[in-house]
Amino acid sequence: MAVTDQQCKKNISGVLIAVLGLEQVIANLSKPEIRTDAISWHRFSGGLNLVLLVLLFLSGSVMAFYYSPIPGTAYDSVDFALFSLPFGETIKGIHHYSWNILLVVMGLHLVRAFVVGAYKPPRQLVWISGVILLVIVPMFIVTGDLLPWDQKGYWSTRVRLSIIQSIPFIGDLAVRFLQGGPLTGIVALTRFYALHTLFLPGLLLLLMGIHFHFIRYRGLSEPLFGEEKSVRRISFLPGILNRWLILFIIVSVALGFISHYWTVPLGDPADPTDSSYIPKPEWWVLFLNQLVAIFKGSLSVMGTVIIPGGLFGLLAALPFLDRSAERDPARRIVVMIIAAVILFGMTGLSLMGYIEHFVSTGKQ
Amino acid sequence: MAQRIIISLGILLMVVFIRLMNPDQLSADGDVLIIDAMHSAEAPKGLDDEIWRQLRPIQVPVEGRGELSRAGEYVNTRAVYTDDSIYFYLQWKDPTRSITKQSWQFDGNRWFHMSGNEDRIALLFEITRIDKFASRGCAATCHSPADLSKEQWRLATSRASEKGDLWHWTAARSDPYKYADDGWLTVAGNPSGSYRKTGRRNDAGSGGDINNQTEDGLRPLYIQDPGRKPSATGFLLQEDAVKIQDYSMFKPGDVIPFRLPVKPDGSRFDVKAESRYHNGHWNVLLHRKLNTGHEDDVIFNPKKRYSFAMAVFDDSGDDHSKATKALLLIFRH
Repeated sequence: MAVTDQQCKKNISGVLIAVLGLEQVIANLSKPEIRTDAISWHRFSGGLNLVLLVLLFLSGSVMAFYYSPIPGTAYDSVDFALFSLPFGETIKGIHHYSWNILLVVMGLHLVRAFVVGAYKPPRQLVWISGVILLVIVPMFIVTGDLLPWDQKGYWSTRVRLSIIQSIPFIGDLAVRFLQGGPLTGIVALTRFYALHTLFLPGLLLLLMGIHFHFIRYRGLSEPLFGEEKSVRRISFLPGILNRWLILFIIVSVALGFISHYWTVPLGDPADPTDSSYIPKPEWWVLFLNQLVAIFKGSLSVMGTVIIPGGLFGLLAALPFLDRSAERDPARRIVVMIIAAVILFGMTGLSLMGYIEHFVSTGKQ
Repeated sequence: MAQRIIISLGILLMVVFIRLMNPDQLSADGDVLIIDAMHSAEAPKGLDDEIWRQLRPIQVPVEGRGELSRAGEYVNTRAVYTDDSIYFYLQWKDPTRSITKQSWQFDGNRWFHMSGNEDRIALLFEITRIDKFASRGCAATCHSPADLSKEQWRLATSRASEKGDLWHWTAARSDPYKYADDGWLTVAGNPSGSYRKTGRRNDAGSGGDINNQTEDGLRPLYIQDPGRKPSATGFLLQEDAVKIQDYSMFKPGDVIPFRLPVKPDGSRFDVKAESRYHNGHWNVLLHRKLNTGHEDDVIFNPKKRYSFAMAVFDDSGDDHSKATKALLLIFRH
């Protein structure tokens, strides 16, 4: 139900809107109407992604107040923010858990969109912009990992940079750009910090704007079954926004409790001379790590570039590879089997990596 | 029903996922040995408390150089913390109980220092971060490379901003008062005292010991006050001592301690101790408030991890065996 001028002016918020001259904005936000089936429990992932991204932005902004991007002080500044500030552990925890959960929810979002054929016309560009967004998030993680200047972040970055360096033609240039020199030192930390807090958020906002633009003008995917397109509809404001705010509060409180009871650990300070440290890959990168481990020597480019790049290309090009109008997964057998094989392969590689790094080492 | 199963599975997956997201809580970085501090609702009642039998000790390997380069020796280490304090139970093999610490002995004509020193154990924590301490342990503070003569070794940090918290239990000097001398570590160059070339400093307050000798350094100055019962059997404490008035009363073979422990007080007396030498082993319990409120002490926050180092001294003044691995204290909830 749209908010009318009369309703606006009846309460304090209405007065505020009038004072700020936002009547037109509110009216525009009230116009879009969304089917109620689009806000059912199994279609929450898009809204949850946005909740997590906002939490990441807010918690990251607070952490930035106390962060010092210099190798000699970066660790201490994170240590101070984490353990000496009131609610420091909660803020750091929300940031940490949010990106982990974001990866899962984005994965679910992608899987659901794939299964229901949401990439089919006319929503091809919604899909493509979403796939690109999915790639941006790991870039945040990679650049953010180095910032605490702890052993894990430092040596994980060294490993990643060596992988990037092995990419033919552009590897050296990319590492020189990221590192700013031959060593992972103060210039690298400054660049990673700038990428993490300025460049990537800007890029993310741009891509989110594009993603929402296409959602707005191409619409959400229709239900797979049944033709009841005339089901009940609610306006974006206040219907959707209020629900999103409730979700935001619930997730914030839940992550706050989790952060309090499972404090995010801060590893030992980075020691660039301690080559005995072997970083363990994080859960989300286990399958990529296994690919690198499998393809060695002259074949390493397979594990570092060709297979991951091919998967990304396949995902992005999906709307153009599967051009039939059919959305029912039961009638898209070939596509579903290919996807299942890829998913099975990724899961298998991840399990292998988990066993290799977390079980067989006996250190956990 | 199906919805309940999905919700239950979801909660289970969430817990597993949280553990997966925090692998560092379970493991150490690199070649580091973890000492788990287990939480206890009640404070351990000394060395014989049941809780020490329930905990599996972590064997901290220690090795020295020269005469002390005996591989295969270790300090059995257990740690417990309460809401208020932290406790370390340290046990190590030592064939002899050494508390002589250069005591005076009279041979009928003159006084001389007996051979023999004392047994000791020291722990070092970071008050502020010490560069590379987490990965190298006390090697980051003990400048004792193999190509440097022993006289040139220094216990110190590299920068004034780096501060360590040093707990020093000594069998002859601190044990009589049941404490470990609490000091701190900074850059070398202490302008006064016997440690003037190291970075060791005493915490605020009194403690330590004084030399029991006359101005010419040829004989003892103090003896146990005959009118007082010794506060610590077998030791001569400064507070129990009186000046010797008549040296003719001594017989050949008489022994008088050379180092007189001074009654500790203030921040220097923060680390309390209990000890027992039994069956060729030292058993030492050290405990301290998690937060003493003193700026010359490390503040223990059970949510943090703490790198630390350990050194054992066997009847020695300087030579010691140090932990061969960097140590990491993790508080388990």
